[in-house]
Amino acid sequence: MRRPPCAFLLLVLFLAPSAYALDGDELLRRVDRNLNPESYEAYRKLINIEPDGRRKEYVLYTVKKGRDKLIALFLDPPSEKGRATLRLGDNMWLYIPGVGKPLRITSLQSVVGGVFNNADILNLDYSVEYRVEKAAEEPADYTLELKARTGAVAYDRLNMRVDRATLTPTEIEAYAASGLLIKTLHFKDIKDFGGIKRPSVIETDSPLYKGYKSVMLYAKIKARVFPDEVFTLDYLPRAGELR
Amino acid sequence: MPGRWLVFSAAVFLSASAAAAEEYRFDVEAFEKKPFELNGYAELRAERSWLDRDAALYQLNFFDQEAHSALDRMTGALELSGLYRRGIATVQATVHGEGARDELGSEGETRLYEGYLTLEPATGTRVEAGKRVLRWGKGYAWNPVGFVERPKDPNDPELSREGFVMLGGSYTRSLDGALKTVTFTPLLVPTTGHLNEGFGSGEHANAAARLSLLYRDTDIDFLVLGAGARSARYGLDFARNLTTNFEIHGEWARITDATKPMLSASGAVTTQTADATSYLLGVRHLSVNDATTILEYYRNGTGYSEAEMQDFFRFGHTAYDTFLQTGTDTALQRARDLLEASYGRPTPMQRYLYLRVSQKEPFDILYFNPAVASIVNLDDHSYSLAPELLYTGVTNLDLRLRWFLLHGNWLTDFGEKQNAQRLELRVRYYF
Repeated sequence: MRRPPCAFLLLVLFLAPSAYALDGDELLRRVDRNLNPESYEAYRKLINIEPDGRRKEYVLYTVKKGRDKLIALFLDPPSEKGRATLRLGDNMWLYIPGVGKPLRITSLQSVVGGVFNNADILNLDYSVEYRVEKAAEEPADYTLELKARTGAVAYDRLNMRVDRATLTPTEIEAYAASGLLIKTLHFKDIKDFGGIKRPSVIETDSPLYKGYKSVMLYAKIKARVFPDEVFTLDYLPRAGELR
Repeated sequence: MPGRWLVFSAAVFLSASAAAAEEYRFDVEAFEKKPFELNGYAELRAERSWLDRDAALYQLNFFDQEAHSALDRMTGALELSGLYRRGIATVQATVHGEGARDELGSEGETRLYEGYLTLEPATGTRVEAGKRVLRWGKGYAWNPVGFVERPKDPNDPELSREGFVMLGGSYTRSLDGALKTVTFTPLLVPTTGHLNEGFGSGEHANAAARLSLLYRDTDIDFLVLGAGARSARYGLDFARNLTTNFEIHGEWARITDATKPMLSASGAVTTQTADATSYLLGVRHLSVNDATTILEYYRNGTGYSEAEMQDFFRFGHTAYDTFLQTGTDTALQRARDLLEASYGRPTPMQRYLYLRVSQKEPFDILYFNPAVASIVNLDDHSYSLAPELLYTGVTNLDLRLRWFLLHGNWLTDFGEKQNAQRLELRVRYYF
């Protein structure tokens, strides 16, 4: 039997990354894992910046387990402290300390005022909420066109630009079903969170809120697996004890 | 030359990094869990009430006062919540103090709303002892299954309330399959001469329990309160999202031997005892324009019929006329006692509709949320209407302006309330 020529092997090796890069679904799953472990805890700061420079800041503690279990708890400012949101798949509940019990909310409802909505605060893995419709590669980036799997997410389509070197997003454009550009997310400042190297800053601008900017800062992203009983209505008021 | 460029580039890069770091600073260590936490709010509330001097409730409440067509009231409130945690134990307390002044005088009080110890030996297993606020039910404006709590005011459903002293626990298990979560919450609400006076009279253990399920995508609760200081009652509630922007919820309660004080048109007072059924059906909808609508229908099984309420109002008017003619207030005092006991509840009759529509940040004005809420009495067609403006743009400061407008004919629920209108400005600062 004749051995394949070396030139052929080199060609296969050369083409392999390109073939892989165009497997959009696998690429999106890699992007997800590079952003967060599947089960983790993290701290986030959300900053809304108004055209005159005025800021409003929120600090959130987030825990996630598996594909679709997630809690986001507000730690700051005091007016929002203790407010917690639980997501189990498409089911969402909001706990407000003053109200005293978790209430079911629609998945598109805003948890706090400002540019952020639930999709920004309670986002699951991109590959869970979106399927890849088109994948392409450019010299420095991959580009993915994503379509929402259900109507439960705020953005019907995402155009994602992925850095080839780190396989993390550099920019995401979020569109409504009507085709309207709702916001653009810019991923910046890659940091090493104890083995997870990912952008630590996401800046958002929106043509709907001209002059306004919102920023999300990440800290202490850590792989951690919580018991399932944490992701229940009964536990939600005690989510602060997880830290 | 390249060396200079390198130094220059490094300087630009470092200064840019420093600027970026300065611009977006996140001192996450400041938010580490601490053994002790304290927070709360201070509130100032200015109100003007336009009084309806022809209304029965005005005549009952103000017959012994100088006549007023309006009242200005200023209220200051302070609520402090503290928490101390050590090992599996957590101690939490909330104290609420309030002082108010108007043309008729001033009043104030401080109450312990909550103060209890929690032991959590394992995630999902918990024991609690002390004064605790429990909120049962899925309804926004009313909770027919709220068996172990003080009554909710549908005019301000999110207002904090005082709890009851109780011993309770909860056990939660998450499961695979259609039944995803099960939580069982048993509790005792003991009453003695001095303990839990607001719950009922007599010495009783008052056992209650709730079984909560998440079955497929529906929340379901089964609730029961055994006979004791209150008559036995049981019920269920549910909530479910039908679509991503449309939620339905409901409650059903059966109250055995429910007692209802009755005043006949002639002034005879009797107590009616009968089993009663109350229920609530509601929806919550979010439009594409971020308008949230809450609509609820409430059937109050312990409420008064239109004829029974008219008897009460008629008696109140007659008693007031007698007082004006003779100076005798015996009948008025009797009616006032009944008002405090039962007829004076915010929604004392049998069929109500609640509607609230709130718009998130219209005209792209961030942190500004206007809303309008209405309670309609479906028996006598009287109603209240409350437009509201809420601004939360300043960190930790809420500004809320509300205007209550009451409308109804003679001898109707909202037509006989003491206020015709009320304007309220609330400034609340959280810390």
